[in-house]
Amino acid sequence: MDSILKVFQRPDFLAQLVVHIELSVIALLIGITVAMPVALLVYRSRLWSAVAINTGNIGRAVPSLAILALVFPLLGFGFAPSLVALTLLAIPPILINASTGLRQVNPQIIDAARGMGLSNGQVLGHIQLPIAAPVIFAGIRTSAVQVVASATLATFIGGGGLGELIVLGFQRNELAIQLGGSLAVAILAIITEVGFGLLERAFTPKGLLVTSNHRSK
Amino acid sequence: MIEFRGVSKTYPGSLHPVVNDLSFEILDGEICVLVGPSGCGKTTSMRMINRLIEPSEGEILIDGEPNTAMSGTKLRRHIGYAIQQIGLFPHRTIADNIATVPQLLDWDKIRIERRVDELLQLVGLDPAQYRGRYPAELSGGQQQRVGVARAMAADPPIMLMDEPFGAVDPITRNRLQDEFLRIQEEINKTIVFVTHDIDEAIKMGDKLAILKEGGVLAQYDTPEKILAAPNSEFVSSFVGADRVLKRLSLLRVSDMELDSTNGDGDDLPRISERTNLKDALSELIGAGAERGVVVSNGDGARGTLSIETIRRLSHQAEAEQRYE
Amino acid sequence: MSSLVASLALQNLGPKVLDWNWISRNFSHEIIPAIIGHIYLSFVSVTIALVISLPTGIIVSRYRKAYPPVTFITGLLFSIPSLAFFALLVTVPGVGLGPRAVIIALVAYSLLVLIRNVVAGMDSVPEETKDAARGMGLTSRQILFKVELPLALPVIVAGIRIATVTIIGIATIGAYISGGGLGELIFTGISRNFPTRIIVGAVLATLLAVLADLSLLAIERYLRPWARTRRT
Repeated sequence: MDSILKVFQRPDFLAQLVVHIELSVIALLIGITVAMPVALLVYRSRLWSAVAINTGNIGRAVPSLAILALVFPLLGFGFAPSLVALTLLAIPPILINASTGLRQVNPQIIDAARGMGLSNGQVLGHIQLPIAAPVIFAGIRTSAVQVVASATLATFIGGGGLGELIVLGFQRNELAIQLGGSLAVAILAIITEVGFGLLERAFTPKGLLVTSNHRSK
Repeated sequence: MIEFRGVSKTYPGSLHPVVNDLSFEILDGEICVLVGPSGCGKTTSMRMINRLIEPSEGEILIDGEPNTAMSGTKLRRHIGYAIQQIGLFPHRTIADNIATVPQLLDWDKIRIERRVDELLQLVGLDPAQYRGRYPAELSGGQQQRVGVARAMAADPPIMLMDEPFGAVDPITRNRLQDEFLRIQEEINKTIVFVTHDIDEAIKMGDKLAILKEGGVLAQYDTPEKILAAPNSEFVSSFVGADRVLKRLSLLRVSDMELDSTNGDGDDLPRISERTNLKDALSELIGAGAERGVVVSNGDGARGTLSIETIRRLSHQAEAEQRYE
Repeated sequence: MSSLVASLALQNLGPKVLDWNWISRNFSHEIIPAIIGHIYLSFVSVTIALVISLPTGIIVSRYRKAYPPVTFITGLLFSIPSLAFFALLVTVPGVGLGPRAVIIALVAYSLLVLIRNVVAGMDSVPEETKDAARGMGLTSRQILFKVELPLALPVIVAGIRIATVTIIGIATIGAYISGGGLGELIFTGISRNFPTRIIVGAVLATLLAVLADLSLLAIERYLRPWARTRRT
């Protein structure tokens, strides 16, 4: 146990933790910046949103190691190629959830809003986005957890991150480093999962949480 | 005043119009009910008034101005719009739902708050209790009340209502209809009301526009006139075989000329002068009497009404009826 | 998409990137076994996970209080990055390097999705339907097997689909702890700087995942004839 705690005091632990977080945060931010406008462009059209959602689904089926590995012969070794791969991984869950979330908003609610004189932008900003927010955030959460997990694999193409420590532990057969690195990654992933869960709840409008206690059957 | 001038709507790619050459006028302060079987274009006609749908031909004038004189969104902020309860915004409180249009029109906060409370009171919901609730916490009937209040929020002279009482049980619907008629007496709006239910149409409408398939106006008149003299087989069958009785339900005993009491009223059934003729007839038949004594609020007998009088009235109307 | 990446790689790095000779030479004794190994790992894991999840899901759908802790624990397991999970598992006495550790991790990853879908499937059975079955004199055992499970099946299969696709992807990483499968090609390709191996491994793993996704989706649709009526 002590030896594992010592791992957390290593200078390269902190450095790799920072790289891991950098990789994840940047990939997620770019992922959001790409996926959201695409979702906003396609959700009105049945055909295009089906295209986006199906592409997203296939994208989700591609193994994360496969994406990282394929980026390597194309772009080479290092931080930037890893970032590209992680960004590609970040996009599909957000794209899928944002498109479906926006489409799921009850058309009668939209009709009522338009009928009262809300402009298209206002309908989107005041009605559709808030109602779709929980679904969109669930997508961002899935994406974030996946990116944090996959960033562990960046080490295989020289991207750094906490995976570096796990691999180091394996190579040198040092159990403490291997365990310390793994625990750190696991904790980081769980923090991401729980943190984004809280964020998701914070962005869910209260009116969507209340149960219809009044609606007797 | 709303005026339809030769309005037609054909959707691209379709050969048949959904609304076909519609021309009629809706007078200020009247409830005009657009009624007809499904596919008759009643909702489409209503939605062309606030330009949620644009007509393919013809124009709609509001107070003499074409409704295309201003932008669609601006126009819609000055026309109330109520649809089935599902149209409430689930993520906004009742107060915020009602405040939607006043907020768009940049009313100040205090004015909006006052207006919300006033409207909640008007539709019979205690403001203190309901202001901060969310739609999901309300019953179906309460949600529809909020829907109506929301449509009235900015005090628009015109209101469009698409089956606003459609999604509740018959008893609640009846109560909401009565309440709304009471409210209308106070606010006196010009209302376009869409329903597929002829009974609701007869009850709510000052005028009925009966539409038939293909969006053709079959008849436009007061409920009394339509029931007394339907102008076609279609209208006659749409209003139902019991149209004579329906018409009686629109007339009150107090509207009738009564026979004098001959002092023999003691054993006759008593009818309040405020009951409608259909109920009066039912009471007479039920009591096995030919005549009844009409009484007004505790004042005692005003005269007598006989089944024969009611029969003659209905028969006369029937004789006037001519199909083209 | 991956084929696009592969063809780009071809253009960028010249014809040597994809060494077709290597592929034909090693097809039967390296590539085919890797595919079979990968399918074996995934299939065994999903099967074991299903054996655990089905009864757990049914029990949890009845005793609702147990549901939040079950999803919490399986949710935690699901969010642990696979490389870390593998690295932790191999240190456990009696597990060690090899397919066993990989299968344990893959089973753990499947639990959340499978249990959640079993419960959702059971929930999707209308109360009236169960009531009607009870009214016709079926025992609760008969109701479970003749009414609830058949109606819940499409949702359960949807869970199997998601779990399978996830597992095929994660199984590639299992090669790092000597689990075998297509990941083996990827890792040796990276360490020997031999792109052909990487591309073959990555493309085949992707194809396998997409294929599993589509075929299980087809099964899901087939099992839900009441949702297909619109087409006819």
